[in-house]
Amino acid sequence: MSTQARPDTSAPADVGSAMLSVRDLTVTFPSAEGPIRAVNGMSFDVRPRERLGIVGESGSGKSVTAQALLGLTPREHTTGSIVFEGEDLLTAPQDRLRALRGWDISYVFQDPLSALDPTRTIGHQVAQPLLLRKVPKKEAHRRAIEMLGEVGIPDPARRARNYPHQFSGGMRQRVMIAMALIGQPRLVIADEPTTALDVRVQAKIIDLLYRLTDEQGVAVVFITHDLGILAGLAERVIVMYAGRVMEECSTDELYYRSIHPYTLGLLESLPRITGPVPERLVTIGGGPPAPSRLPTGCPFHPRCQYVQPECRTTPPPLEVPPGGEHPSACLRAEWLAERPGELR
Amino acid sequence: MTTPLLQVRGLVREFGHGPGLVRAVDDVSFDVMPGEALGLVGESGSGKSTTARCVLRLIEPTAGEVRLDGQDMLALKGPALRRLRSTAQLVFQDPYSSLNPRMTVADIIAEGIRIHRPRESSSTVQDEVVELLELVGLRPDHLTRKPAAFSGGERQRIGIARALALKPKLLVCDEPVASLDVSIQAQILNLFAELMDRLDLTLVYIAHDLSTVRHLCGRIAVMQDGTIREIGTREQIYEDPQHEYTRALMAAVPEPDPRSERAKLTARRSAQPTGASRP
Repeated sequence: MSTQARPDTSAPADVGSAMLSVRDLTVTFPSAEGPIRAVNGMSFDVRPRERLGIVGESGSGKSVTAQALLGLTPREHTTGSIVFEGEDLLTAPQDRLRALRGWDISYVFQDPLSALDPTRTIGHQVAQPLLLRKVPKKEAHRRAIEMLGEVGIPDPARRARNYPHQFSGGMRQRVMIAMALIGQPRLVIADEPTTALDVRVQAKIIDLLYRLTDEQGVAVVFITHDLGILAGLAERVIVMYAGRVMEECSTDELYYRSIHPYTLGLLESLPRITGPVPERLVTIGGGPPAPSRLPTGCPFHPRCQYVQPECRTTPPPLEVPPGGEHPSACLRAEWLAERPGELR
Repeated sequence: MTTPLLQVRGLVREFGHGPGLVRAVDDVSFDVMPGEALGLVGESGSGKSTTARCVLRLIEPTAGEVRLDGQDMLALKGPALRRLRSTAQLVFQDPYSSLNPRMTVADIIAEGIRIHRPRESSSTVQDEVVELLELVGLRPDHLTRKPAAFSGGERQRIGIARALALKPKLLVCDEPVASLDVSIQAQILNLFAELMDRLDLTLVYIAHDLSTVRHLCGRIAVMQDGTIREIGTREQIYEDPQHEYTRALMAAVPEPDPRSERAKLTARRSAQPTGASRP
């Protein structure tokens, strides 16, 4: 149970009120072409009831980061520290991690069809976190039905007896969320939970996650490739590219006063439903680099319209530039900070 | 007065039978004029993809009429149907499953030409393939590679080159950017606009959200439950939507603007009582 005694490892002094504190997280996978650094020195905090967005394209390391937060990446390839309520998940014993997962920290996967067991009823699967913790069967089932109702499944008592194939994509995603919430976690990590869903269903899932943080004090880390979705939900956003943090700030800072060329490019290339229709959408040339073939210097330099010679050789540190309000990993952050958001 | 390139009248497609009968497409009619881009927008299950596949006769409609380039698409068969089919080509949603992983890019693009013009010399085919590759922004040295060597965006360009190989007048695109990275989506949308200009193409563009079609399509049809709820020009649909469903779809599109998104979220929350579990 969540109330059991925790080994009280001394938390780093800078944690403050953070419930989750990630420092210098690096995940390196071995491959035939040499080690691939999927996540490269990530540091961030999550406070109780906070809604943090992590945005990135394919290969940015956002999903590997999410997996690392649950201790799902191989330990021998993961360095740094992930301190959850005073306990380092990267050194905690495996059975301790099992006790935390699905209970104190839970995860909503991207693909609800492959994450659900086709041979078991929805009700059984939602109740499973409780059954694993020896909650009596009847009670577990009752709470599963209640939770299905909470996430907006109509007629939950009847639908609990259905199998995953009898549910639509949006309903399956809500089942995943019900599974993630039934243990009353304090931290939910949602990896692209609304990708492939219709926009109206997507809006409902967003509302549900919002309600969780607002009414139940749960913290949510929402991982996505879509800056549109984060705008209404997130309070703070981390922009990832090639395994690194490019920019980190409050949501309003990011959307209205970004000082990183990648973020600016992403915002500019989004098709919008209001405002003038441009002749051509502004694009970021090229594509995100494969983690196995990262460019030298700043990983974004081959696609950057503000590139300078030193960008090709010097990896930019993530820091608040003079005159800026928030950290940006760009050698020209100071120049951009003089005209925040103007270049969109 | 120009005649439409594509005329669809009373299109119906049913699946199943007896009590399980479903009308996926239920009396759909629309015209597509030469050179225009029509957006077909709807959520999953709205019948938009089934409509597109009926138009190309990849699945047989249960009833209705489809006229492509002045000819009755549903009455033709054999060689005459095959000839007409080169007039309209499809770009698929998933650039991973729609390319044969064992074929080289050159073979994938040339396949249609070889089928439709079997007596063409291989050097002519080769020239055309190179030209197509350049048209979609790929390099000639990509020709001998297989799909696995390409990213999602590049694969989608290969799929577009393949669709263009038979010099179609109409391109039907089924959510061609849905599975691509955001920064790549804009590139592909621009490519479609450019190709329409250069090749006098006509487009039927299927999407599940209203934001991508807005850039490309001058006219938009909104589908729900197998029927067209509303069809109109871009200005009509976005500035003065008539149907409640169009308005609901529009309101749900997330925009990269925190202030307006938070306002929408608050509005949704006050419209729905919170916390209560449903019966």
